[in-house]
Amino acid sequence: MRVALFVTCLVDLMRPRIGFAAIELLEAAGCAVTAPASQTCCGQPAWNSGDRAAAVALAKKVIGEFTGSEYVVAPSGSCADQIRNEYPAILADDPEWHARALELASRVYELTDFLVNVAHLENLPGSFTGSVTYHDSCTGLRSMGIKEQPRALLAKAPGVELKEMVAAEECCGFGGTFSVKFGEISAAIAAKKCGNACASGADTIVGGDLGCLLNIEGKLRRMGNEETQVMHIAEVLTAQK
Amino acid sequence: MESRSRHFKANAAASLANPVLQANLKTAKGKFVDKRAIAIKEIDDFEGSREAARNIRNRVLENLDLWLEKFEENATARGATVMWAKDGDEICRHVAEIGKRHGVQKAAKSKSMLSEEANLNMALTAAGIRPIETDLGEYILQINNNEAPSHIIAPVVHKSLDEVADLFHQVHKTPRKTEIPALTREAREVLREHFLTADMGISGGNFLIAETGSVALVTNEGNGRMVTTLPRVHVVITGIEKVVPTLEDLSLLMRLLPRSATGQSISNYVSVLTGVKTPAERDGPEHLYFILVDNGRADVVGTEFQDMLRCIRCGACMNHCPVYQTIGGHAYGWVYPGPMGSVLTPLYTGLENAIDLPQAATLCNQCGVVCPVMIPLPELLRKLREKQVEKHLRPWFERIALKIWAGVAASPPLYALGTWLGVRYLKWLAGGRDRIPVLGVAPGWTLGRDFPAPEGKTFREQYAERQGKR
Amino acid sequence: MSSREDILGRVRAGLSRDPAHTSAVRQDIDTVLAARVQGPRPAMPADLAALTARFAEKSAVQSSTIDRVARLADAPAAVARYLKGLDFSLAAVIWPSLAALDWRAAGLAVEARGAVDSDMVGITGCFCAIAETGTLMACSAPDHPATVSLLPETHIALVPMSRIVPAMEDAWALARAELGSLPRAVNFISGPSRTGDIEQTIVLGAHGPYRVHLVIIEGE
Repeated sequence: MRVALFVTCLVDLMRPRIGFAAIELLEAAGCAVTAPASQTCCGQPAWNSGDRAAAVALAKKVIGEFTGSEYVVAPSGSCADQIRNEYPAILADDPEWHARALELASRVYELTDFLVNVAHLENLPGSFTGSVTYHDSCTGLRSMGIKEQPRALLAKAPGVELKEMVAAEECCGFGGTFSVKFGEISAAIAAKKCGNACASGADTIVGGDLGCLLNIEGKLRRMGNEETQVMHIAEVLTAQK
Repeated sequence: MESRSRHFKANAAASLANPVLQANLKTAKGKFVDKRAIAIKEIDDFEGSREAARNIRNRVLENLDLWLEKFEENATARGATVMWAKDGDEICRHVAEIGKRHGVQKAAKSKSMLSEEANLNMALTAAGIRPIETDLGEYILQINNNEAPSHIIAPVVHKSLDEVADLFHQVHKTPRKTEIPALTREAREVLREHFLTADMGISGGNFLIAETGSVALVTNEGNGRMVTTLPRVHVVITGIEKVVPTLEDLSLLMRLLPRSATGQSISNYVSVLTGVKTPAERDGPEHLYFILVDNGRADVVGTEFQDMLRCIRCGACMNHCPVYQTIGGHAYGWVYPGPMGSVLTPLYTGLENAIDLPQAATLCNQCGVVCPVMIPLPELLRKLREKQVEKHLRPWFERIALKIWAGVAASPPLYALGTWLGVRYLKWLAGGRDRIPVLGVAPGWTLGRDFPAPEGKTFREQYAERQGKR
Repeated sequence: MSSREDILGRVRAGLSRDPAHTSAVRQDIDTVLAARVQGPRPAMPADLAALTARFAEKSAVQSSTIDRVARLADAPAAVARYLKGLDFSLAAVIWPSLAALDWRAAGLAVEARGAVDSDMVGITGCFCAIAETGTLMACSAPDHPATVSLLPETHIALVPMSRIVPAMEDAWALARAELGSLPRAVNFISGPSRTGDIEQTIVLGAHGPYRVHLVIIEGE
């Protein structure tokens, strides 16, 4: 299987190691992975801010860049959703591009979903040891059906103990530009998420979307919590310990 | 009601700083969310029921003009008078005229959000008619200097028992009671007198049934029954979008409304009221008026926002909204809080008067998945954001930032340069630590949390280096 | 232009209403009204005994209390027993349609009329009862005044087992078959009145009855 990695702009900028962890996992599942060099952003910030023109331009750019790849995989439910479910809507008025959007949509996956349901990853490359709690990111959960896949992967790691938090499916308050426009509200929602996550007793909070993880980590540290780790699922599944 | 939605940010900041409100919101959230989750399990095919409910509401909206005429025809045939109101002022004029015609001095009101839209109580008082709110929550607000409700079905969800105890003690001049049943009985006794002496009952309407020309009214307290049974005159004030075709459709919707609203299998009282009393009947109104209200609704018909008109006002979207749960209803500034309000307020009061509301959502879609009539609330919020951009209503710095970002993201070389500079700047800001406590380019972020520092080099740099080594 | 024309005009414009199609759509509307299509319904027991058990169970969930008697003529004694159990006086206002029962023999002083504020106990029948939710359906009529189930603090309803139907849809079908058009007020009553407005804590007895007692009549 040939996989083109959609790195996502946040991973590119903030946590490249998540991108490399994703490559490691995909290769462990027998995929040949490339990361097209010209990729930038899926355009979700523009689309959710109401800037249709910018969203259209970026959608076309991504569709062009990923034409010809067998599969496109993103370590983010939210970016994968943008490509799979929003691009066809963004380009609905343009028959040619709409068809291309639908074609790409049929090949794009969120990382854990791809590993479990398409690549059927058997053996994890990592050996993480510790207790984790999993935060279900909203778009991945409600638009992409990402719920059991990360848990199935965590269950393959003998050193991982999953301690579910209450309200794991509730929003962490990130919301993209919302986190900056309404910083106080966003941080107050994050405080509830951190409270629930810590109450689970897990040492590490795990999720599949970096935006949420930066929000949670930033709030934890501001609250004075220096112990609880915050990691992307790809990092956990590849960590050596 | 005059909109304070323009001051959303200030309102929200005040809500966050109010510890009593925060405690009350926490209590309410647990009850609403948990009870709904249990109640929907009683329905074998809940998702199928949601789809059926959506279809019922769509069927009417697709031919709303003709369904309204059908309702009007059947209601009139049973002796009701159907009136139409373009806006809040016209509602007030109609009610005042009806009051004058029938010599009304006191009006007992069951809960009506449209009367909040219209500021009806003020107009009634000016017309010499004393309005009495009889829903317990609305009554508490009325005797507290006509405070605005903060939730469409739990108007005093922002208030604690202590606050209500103080209020009753001061207003009723009775010994201060601290038990909820005792306070409820005290209100019952005060309001019973008003039910018996009111000349006019005013209610909202949960549904208008085209088949029979009836209004369906749903309450738990029984005040809806009181104001439609005892006074000589009954006035129903309801939006033009509330029509459903048949009693079968009502039956389906009644499986969803109470479950979504309060987590009840059914509300205590569901009244289907048709026409006026016959001469031989011992109770019921002699005069029945329907005021069918536009106030912004007609202009939504046929637009990309028409889905919003399906709303049956259950409040599930706000009960499940992380933003509502954090700031409460008053911050939204108009009649309808939460996600529904963030769509309705700009549509009904003007996009420019509620500039923050469509933005004040994380688009988590918890509202969309609980909505009993499947309104795609996050999608409607996003479309409103698009309208704001089209009409140049966003602040200049946001517009410039978006333009720069879009230009950079469209150009891989610029993007590579921008991110190269960006990570190094952020790394420098962090100064060797793993976090940035104050972020000048996005100060909102660091108001309440740190910004984690980047690794140091972008993925694309590191990937290129690795590819070079291979 | 009247507000009616203004509002309907803008709705028509929004829908791009084509006058040439209006009569066809009106026919569609009449078809929908005649078809009375039902949505998904929860499964309900088929036989009357199980349906009655479901009605009783759901009524209890709604905080109603339940008694059963064999015949309608046994109802007054059951009512008297219930009121004595609560230490209430044996006086009540009843639906005029129930006046033929021998209340006096059970020791009850009843008056057949609409209720007033001072009435403490109201006794009614019902048009039918709904098993799905434990709900009474009361139809207003000269000998079924709506106030009797509303003003008194205690509401007692006689529920013939033969009148228990699975769901609200069945109640409407029965009403159409037996009454033709709807009466002025159809009231679905599911337990005592209540409010949760103060701190979302449910309190029974808001504006209507504090308690609802159902006497299920198993036979004639």
